[in-house]
Amino acid sequence: MKIPVLLLTKAISFILRRMGRGGSFPGQIALKLNQNIFDCFRYTCPIIVVTGTNGKTSTSNMIADLFTASNQKIINNRKGDNLKEGIATAFINAASISGKIDADAMVLEVDELNIPYIMKHVKVSTLVLTNFFRDQLDRSQEMEQLIQKIEAAVKDFKGTLVLNGNDPNVVRVKDHAPNASVLYFGVERCEASSSTPQEASEGKFCPRCNHMLTYSFYQYSHIGMFQCTNCEYCTPKLDVCGEDITIEQGSFRYENTLFHAPIASLYTIYNCMAVIAVAKLYQLPYDLCERIFLHTKQPAGRNETFAWQGNDYTLNLVKNPTGANEVLKTIELDKDEKALMIVLNDNAQDGTDVSWIYDAQFERVLQLSTQRIICSGTRAYDMALRIKYADYPGEIIVIEDPKKALDTLYDYHIRSYIIATYTALAPVRALMRKDEAHAA
Amino acid sequence: MQHNKIRVCWMYHNIMDLYGDKGNMMVLSKRCEKRGIECEIVPLEIGQEMDLTEFDLLFLGGGADREQVLLMEDLLKRKEQIAKAMEQGTFVVLICGGYQLFGQYYIAADGTKIEGLKFFDYYTEAGSNYQRCIGNIAISAQLDDFTTTIIGFENHGGQTRNVSKPFGKVLSGYGNNQSDHMEGFYNGQVLGTYMHGPLFPKNPEVADFVIYKCLKKQNPELKYTDLTRLDDSLEQQAREVMLKRMNITV
Repeated sequence: MKIPVLLLTKAISFILRRMGRGGSFPGQIALKLNQNIFDCFRYTCPIIVVTGTNGKTSTSNMIADLFTASNQKIINNRKGDNLKEGIATAFINAASISGKIDADAMVLEVDELNIPYIMKHVKVSTLVLTNFFRDQLDRSQEMEQLIQKIEAAVKDFKGTLVLNGNDPNVVRVKDHAPNASVLYFGVERCEASSSTPQEASEGKFCPRCNHMLTYSFYQYSHIGMFQCTNCEYCTPKLDVCGEDITIEQGSFRYENTLFHAPIASLYTIYNCMAVIAVAKLYQLPYDLCERIFLHTKQPAGRNETFAWQGNDYTLNLVKNPTGANEVLKTIELDKDEKALMIVLNDNAQDGTDVSWIYDAQFERVLQLSTQRIICSGTRAYDMALRIKYADYPGEIIVIEDPKKALDTLYDYHIRSYIIATYTALAPVRALMRKDEAHAA
Repeated sequence: MQHNKIRVCWMYHNIMDLYGDKGNMMVLSKRCEKRGIECEIVPLEIGQEMDLTEFDLLFLGGGADREQVLLMEDLLKRKEQIAKAMEQGTFVVLICGGYQLFGQYYIAADGTKIEGLKFFDYYTEAGSNYQRCIGNIAISAQLDDFTTTIIGFENHGGQTRNVSKPFGKVLSGYGNNQSDHMEGFYNGQVLGTYMHGPLFPKNPEVADFVIYKCLKKQNPELKYTDLTRLDDSLEQQAREVMLKRMNITV
């Protein structure tokens, strides 16, 4: 069976690509025909898997670029196709007909819920965990159950865990991986740190003994320096710790090298620290990291700015309250007059439950300098109510159709920020790209 | 009106705040403010001393299984006070986990049994095979003198049974469990429901009804219709979108 399934799906993939179509269809077929399709591949190179709630696309792309920049041949699922079907597709495309994969490393972004499957079927060398926040709870159920599944999946893992040492929900995973080695990354106290929690936080209780956790400082959400009020559980000694942070420049230091994050925000600096930890583990030079941070192409809709008739329009993807808060914080920094457009969809990939908008701090951007707010998308009115009850003094405009909403936004001729949920991002981005090209 | 103030105890606000339940407090406070009613919201944390009988409303939202286990000890210590507050006419709103904890017991997904406050006969067990009730929901409910359609989002593994006085009839979605087609609990003073969304923003009538019930504690003659009407056009449009999607004509 082995050769025919591979041959067939490689052929499908080839044809699809010739038609200009990517996607995870070949992997989907392969998994249907052979549930153990991953057993068909032969490879000896290290496999680095990146997962977590936020930052996995950016982080895995930077790690992939880092290996490429050190002249290594890598395989990855860059397009963010992070379910097992997408990963199977990446393997199928990379493999010869006999199943041999010739690469120096594989860098895979994997959806959290797919981790148990991937850990079981793929020989993972390094598992990078960025953070665990509330995310689409209707899909992944409550976060606790999700973390437990990941803990169960690493029970026999003998590779290296690269863990965010400032996230109590991530650090706990090591307790369940007795055979794994570990590298903790994090960021020291900085100007953005605070001694009280600012946002809805998950890490309230000790995963070992259930007592309350206290924090010496919070970086954002429940990321920070924590210790249990009862037992020994605390932020571990960080192997890779960012120092001398200046948020405005996005700059930070590690071992005498000065780095600049691609987006000037603390959560982006955390992604960079994960990359540096991987560099340390694979002995790749740090100056290459800095080059990657400066030049790596950010995933679509991560602080992506388009120009139209002399004004900038910055597009951001939001998926959950924590990510949204980080985006809102960057918009908050802009004190000038501006408009805001929020496209809220509730399709399966966005999460059908939109209640998370009440956990996100839209209040941050409702000052008078935000002159107009357009709410759009399938749940435009829910968004409008959120803004209304946040006491926004300005006018709330509801235009469910994103194209019409965007046209209205252009009519204001003002610096604008656009926030879009997952399924809204691609169509809105396509419109903005087209408009920008047209204007040019 | 003699008493133009309501006092709300937001119980375990920092733990039981799953699925945007804090939005309910935002709506309550805003709708009071617009009417010149003072709305004092007092958050309550585990171990904090507080006289619960002083409040017009006790509000308890939902939390994850683990969090519910952790606060139960504290909640049980306050059982007598809650009973006393209810005797004195305090209104109670319970969402999801909070709703479950006022019943007999709750059996979590991992089999852990949490004893409830046992104020009511209903009990909750985890659904078989981790089946959760997830999705948009609409119910037809009786709010004392009037019937209304209530819209929300439910996301619960627990199946609540033996509910003597359900809040409403399910028009679309699951409700208390996968077979009864009834949602929540309401006995004129305690309103328990699985409806997140959050509940109040898209259901201004329910928010106002709760405000009215709170004011009534001090003003027994007050009628729901005495509340000043507010501009709810955005709310109505938000409702229409969801009702249309669920094929419900009102």
